[in-house]
Amino acid sequence: MIRKKSMIFIGLTLVLFTSLYVFMQNGMAEKTTQPLAQNLHRSVSVDSTKCIASKEFMRANHMRVLNEWRNSSVREGNRIFIAPNGSKLEKSLNTCLGCHRNNKLFCFNCHMYANVKPGCWNCHISAMETP
Amino acid sequence: MMNEERRAFIKKSGLGVLACLGVASGLIPKFSLEKTVLPAWDEKPVPGKLRWGMLIDTRKCIEGCQQCVAQCHHVHNVPDFNNRKDEVKWIWKSSYNKVFPTASQQFQSEKITGRSYLALCNHCAESPCTRVCPTEATFKRWDGIVAMDYHRCIGCRFCMAACPYGSRSFNWQDPRTAIKNPSLAYPTREQGVVEKCNFCSDRLVKELLPACVEACPQKVMTFGDLNDPKSEIRGLLENNETMQRKPELGTKPSVFYII
Repeated sequence: MIRKKSMIFIGLTLVLFTSLYVFMQNGMAEKTTQPLAQNLHRSVSVDSTKCIASKEFMRANHMRVLNEWRNSSVREGNRIFIAPNGSKLEKSLNTCLGCHRNNKLFCFNCHMYANVKPGCWNCHISAMETP
Repeated sequence: MMNEERRAFIKKSGLGVLACLGVASGLIPKFSLEKTVLPAWDEKPVPGKLRWGMLIDTRKCIEGCQQCVAQCHHVHNVPDFNNRKDEVKWIWKSSYNKVFPTASQQFQSEKITGRSYLALCNHCAESPCTRVCPTEATFKRWDGIVAMDYHRCIGCRFCMAACPYGSRSFNWQDPRTAIKNPSLAYPTREQGVVEKCNFCSDRLVKELLPACVEACPQKVMTFGDLNDPKSEIRGLLENNETMQRKPELGTKPSVFYII
């Protein structure tokens, strides 16, 4: 008889704890996701003073970086790039051009030499077209 | 005797475990079993949390005013060919029977049928255009916006055939020749792609309201999160009689009208 009662109590406390745990989880989840909804459309101040990677890396891989930026920002909404040195940049061609617009021939010289014809400037406005 | 008790114990504990599992599966929602702690802004946004929508109070709209249209088309480098055949439009004004062709027409008051109404992409919850796109160039974003990835568009115009609102335009010619005053912060399109309103997703990331909403001198348009019951737009939807374009198609537009 006593054992039966203790069994019931053990069961009850178990249920109580699981439900408590679930509700606490819920509360925490709500708390952590709330600021997300507000900050969803926040952009980062673009720090274009430094290049995101070394000259050598960018020379070889800028097209891969740009492709990755395009796919993750346009399609997944992941607009912030964290550079190896920790600075945060907006994934946008305008971030690059923030600096590289200084040299109007920055893209064209090399592409002409390498005889590659990327379609970027069919739509994006290049440094050549800006006053 | 001993065996009997053992059997009863196993029976009961089995039942108890089952009951606990049942309760837990009912109580624990899916997300509490997954990783929920997301840093505020360096992770991907969560789909379904937000649904951008717009409410257009057509009573306040001034007849003949084109400020929202002009601002939108300037900000997004929308070409103007001065030619109905090549026309490209993101937001435009049209007559009652064109914007609401399936709404009541018979004996409708002259006041209502005589006005012109703003039309733009409805960013439908059940968007037909995204279902037909063979390359997924147009897709449903995490925040309810029907977005275009112009990099992927092959110009097949299935989406134009699918859209029941005529919200999509095709670039029959090179649009660059027809942009008088380009804004340098936004790209143009090229010949052979379809384009449409993007609900100013480019401005939303900068925490700005859509260009048309901002340009309107009468504050005709209200923009906000339809999933947030406390938002201004939901308040207005609560307190006014509103309608959507062609609701019978089941596309669930995110653009609402007060007539």
